[in-house]
Amino acid sequence: MSEEKYESHINAVLSECPDADREEVREAFAKYESEFYIPPQDALRSIIRRFKGDMAPSSTGNNSQPQKSSVSKKVASLTELSATDRDVEIEVEIISHNLREQTIRGEQKQIAFGLLEDNPWDEGGQRTRWEYKDWGPNSNISPGTVVRIEGASVNEYQGRMSLNINQSTRIAVLREGTRPVVAPGEPIEINNIPSDGYVCVVGRILSSRPDQIHRKDGSGSIDVVRGRMADESGTIGFLSWEPFEHEVGALVKIDGAQVRTFRDTPELNFGRTTKVELYHDSNFADAESLMEQNIVTISQLRDGSRDVEAIVQITEWSKRSFVRDGQEKFLWSGQIADPSGKCRMSAWEELPISESDLPVTIKVKGVRVRSWQGIPDITVDKSTQVEILESTPWDDSIDLSNHIVEVPLTELVNGSSRVGISTQGIVASVREDCGIIMRCTQCRRVLRDGNCSQHGDDVGTQDVRLRLVIDDGTSTSSLLINKEATLNLLNMTEDEIKAEIDSNGQMEFVQRLRGKLLGQLVTASGRTIVDDQGAMLLADKTELVEQDPGLISTEIRAQWGVQ
Amino acid sequence: MQPSRSIKRQPAWHMLASEFGESTLNEKGSGEFDPSFVITKLGSKVNRVIVAGLLERLEPRDTANGSVLYQGQIRDPSGVHYFSVGDYASDSMRELTLQLSPKVESGEPILMLMVAKTRLFQTEEGAIYTSLRPEEACEIDSNRYATWLTKTCQDTLERMKIFTDSLDFEPTIEALTKQDIASHMVEGLVASRNHYGDIDLEHYNLNILQALDIAEGKIDAASKPPQQQIISVQEGDEASSNSDELGDILLDIIKKLDQGEGVDFETLITNASARGFSRSVAEEKIESLSDEGSIHEPAFGWFRIVS
Repeated sequence: MSEEKYESHINAVLSECPDADREEVREAFAKYESEFYIPPQDALRSIIRRFKGDMAPSSTGNNSQPQKSSVSKKVASLTELSATDRDVEIEVEIISHNLREQTIRGEQKQIAFGLLEDNPWDEGGQRTRWEYKDWGPNSNISPGTVVRIEGASVNEYQGRMSLNINQSTRIAVLREGTRPVVAPGEPIEINNIPSDGYVCVVGRILSSRPDQIHRKDGSGSIDVVRGRMADESGTIGFLSWEPFEHEVGALVKIDGAQVRTFRDTPELNFGRTTKVELYHDSNFADAESLMEQNIVTISQLRDGSRDVEAIVQITEWSKRSFVRDGQEKFLWSGQIADPSGKCRMSAWEELPISESDLPVTIKVKGVRVRSWQGIPDITVDKSTQVEILESTPWDDSIDLSNHIVEVPLTELVNGSSRVGISTQGIVASVREDCGIIMRCTQCRRVLRDGNCSQHGDDVGTQDVRLRLVIDDGTSTSSLLINKEATLNLLNMTEDEIKAEIDSNGQMEFVQRLRGKLLGQLVTASGRTIVDDQGAMLLADKTELVEQDPGLISTEIRAQWGVQ
Repeated sequence: MQPSRSIKRQPAWHMLASEFGESTLNEKGSGEFDPSFVITKLGSKVNRVIVAGLLERLEPRDTANGSVLYQGQIRDPSGVHYFSVGDYASDSMRELTLQLSPKVESGEPILMLMVAKTRLFQTEEGAIYTSLRPEEACEIDSNRYATWLTKTCQDTLERMKIFTDSLDFEPTIEALTKQDIASHMVEGLVASRNHYGDIDLEHYNLNILQALDIAEGKIDAASKPPQQQIISVQEGDEASSNSDELGDILLDIIKKLDQGEGVDFETLITNASARGFSRSVAEEKIESLSDEGSIHEPAFGWFRIVS
């Protein structure tokens, strides 16, 4: 059939390149199709080019835009402003926005106040936060929006600077809010509480106990109430600076609570302006079922959490001693696991657990969580916080000591740090420092030009690692692959890698890695560290996922009904 | 809980040339290091893409400031991506470009996959172009190309579904968030629907069908007669830069080749260049014919004579 197959395409080439040989052109089309999966109409231009020579490149233009001048005082950061500035123009992100009724000169008037931050476009950069008052109030200000404020004035009161937004001030929304918009008095689910700002919630009190906060300067202490409350979406701790007399089990509506985040854990603060009232809803979940969901899994543990309740299995447990203030003290610690993952646990009192009993399933209650290098560590302060269970609530045939949980990349990136997980992603970057590295002999930091950032010059120990970025189309994570996993993935020995880099150079080596890995789907397992810098997966095993495009294509046709 | 603010790497979207190339909207923060985005008709808000195809061209071009800019294009079943590699690119990307350029020049077929930053720019006349700045790239074999095609089809189909679902609701952040539209698409969808208005998805379906045929190795099914018919140049036709003459020629080409759906942009350019008119002159003329109302564009990149 191939006699006529490319006829029209060949003719098209020949009409452009009359001197070309018909048979050579045919062979070119055949090669593009069989070796490169390029149909003739797509190969046409390349083939014309090959037989004809060059074509003029298309022209592109670069245009620079003239800078606009402005009459008002236009600043990039709040720190450039002084207390006397009027008619200020600045771009800010609105952090919180609260409406309030106020009586001004005998007239009821609605005004808005809240927090804003400058430098709104620089994610993670240095930002200054000020309070603002909006006398408009402007309807297009909402939390999370980035706006340009034109014509605001600066206000200074007892050394605190704030911004006054007047009725004549123009507000241009530059980016719509990405945070949940919270109307005052409109309750939000506990699970959706932002990491700062003012919120209104409806929930049931799960625990409540008086506590004292001692002033650091020794000038006395403040009586507070600490506790937890819950709705069907989740639970949250609270701290009330005012007397709080609602009993455990009471359903309350709390308006104007301030969210503060300690480490990774948000907490509600009730102050003078917070309104707490009993709420009536006979359909609201009862305390017992809310208590049930107060039990968290290891994957849900967050640094800084208190009053945590969980069921876990201890897989390793040991006692160690240390000396503090001349006294020998003991600390018990080990590995724990549940079907969602693994982490560590420490106890300051002896638990009735011996190594020969392991694994032991326990329920912990009222414990707190600290994280070390991203790995959560449940801290048990009193042995009464631990209850030993006869059986596990999950299928006890799972061997948790070697258990690896598969977690979608986006879930890992948006969650807390985890141990014993595996995930998949497309390799979106192969960093140029892949391959052989030297580590500090004291702290294992990577040396730069034989120099450790902490310990100075060092001879170093040779190590092998890959540094990639994996991506699932919505989230990305760094992927660091250790020596053993790298050697397995590349099917090379350390000496072979060293020899290749020595003879071809680092750049060629990395380019060859890209040839092998870029755009490929990989499975990686190990542990993650998630912090402000994003997510990092430290992998002790990584594999390319074998894919059959023909099969996938058939599945796609079936799934989407495209024939 | 909302994650705290941080410098997040932008994800890479698998995208066909047709979806990216039809974009005319971008979004950029005012700060120096803010990510910029191109917003496609399907509502993808992309800063980074992962694309693949036949490396069709890769040639050096001197720029005004004396440095050399490499311009190239890679073709997938739906169309062409234009890209450039300049001084700003990493050493390894420039090195790869230097290695590949002569290979392309000598007519060696190369399948390439690249992770690239998206860019959209406007000429002084107002024409809007998309282009890519590759960060990392490599040569791939047909099996990896096929795998990329399947992943890209899957992702594109998902975006088309989300786009279609979103049409039932007001194009605002609030409305779409409330309707559980995938959160990574919400901002792009709102911007896209307010900018592009009603769009036609049919040609994306055709692109996908063709890409799937190729991924299954059924190149025959994906083969089409050459779109780019070239009307042979008459003996004695003098190359001329006379603009009126070019206009007549373009109109003539459209008249001869139009079979009901118009004549595509590339065909016009190729035909004009066969008659000695450079690409840029022809592009400009097509634009001005369009402006003066002699021709119209019933579908993106397809031209018909106004009757």
